[in-house]
Amino acid sequence: MAMETNWASDHLQTIRTLMERSALYGRALATVRLAVGLLGIAGAVLANFLPLLSPRAFSLYWLGFGAVTLTASFLLVRRQALRAGEPLWSPPTRRITSALSPCFFVGLGAGAHSWVSDASPAAWLLATVWITAYGCALHAAGFFMQRGIKLFGWLFILAGGVLLLFGPAATPLHSVTAAHFLMGLFFGGFHLGYGVYLYFTEKARSQP
Amino acid sequence: MNPEPFLQLDRVIHEKGRLAIMSLLAASAQLSFTEIRETLGMTDGNLTAHMRTLQESGYTSVTKSFQAGRPLTTYSLTPAGRTAFTHYIDLLEKIVRQSKPK
Repeated sequence: MAMETNWASDHLQTIRTLMERSALYGRALATVRLAVGLLGIAGAVLANFLPLLSPRAFSLYWLGFGAVTLTASFLLVRRQALRAGEPLWSPPTRRITSALSPCFFVGLGAGAHSWVSDASPAAWLLATVWITAYGCALHAAGFFMQRGIKLFGWLFILAGGVLLLFGPAATPLHSVTAAHFLMGLFFGGFHLGYGVYLYFTEKARSQP
Repeated sequence: MNPEPFLQLDRVIHEKGRLAIMSLLAASAQLSFTEIRETLGMTDGNLTAHMRTLQESGYTSVTKSFQAGRPLTTYSLTPAGRTAFTHYIDLLEKIVRQSKPK
């Protein structure tokens, strides 16, 4: 009888695990992260060769680059879905999109304000808001993805917090060039590093 | 212990492979053949056989469509399947509860 009840408990545990797994977003993200990282670094490097020295030009430039990056990510995810013969707009994808949207909207609002307002905030402050909002977006999406995404989100949130705390006193940060560097470091360097990590760990996980 | 709950367990769902399929479908509105196969590590033939049994029992429904010119087969639980799955879990919980010392 004891064996019978152990078996019942095991079955319930299996059901719970499978139901949780079914609700998780399962796309391989290494390629997406690598692409975002390379685009982020390219964006920061390119910005140094362009006359983007006002906060308004900074916001417009990075809003445009953000749109390009989002489009590239979407196309990569779509290609994965097509190759795997799976629906693109699956319930986990909808959950992820829903989790990301509020923070992305905050970032868009901050960028649009900087673009249209006569009294644009400093470029480094806008970069910090974007870094923090992006971290919050990743953290929210992490509830429907593998655990690493939440930790990755925390990295951005903590960095944003540190920048908000010490940024006002750190005068070298206050140039637009430094803000481009921040964007390149966080959206480029961090993603590239995470992408390389995922490239090897996802590959290892998928091997029998 | 009262053996009755054990005897009431639905034999269609009780099989390991089909129980896994039902668990996945219970948590998602619909899943494609590939998603189920990849998640559970089943072969095409094995999954097809289980899906046929579940469909014949009226527990799952199938939708065939095309995505970017490729055929896409998706499955979902029917209301009868969801009821049967809920009942199955209730019975498992009853078995576990019965074994606990009062």
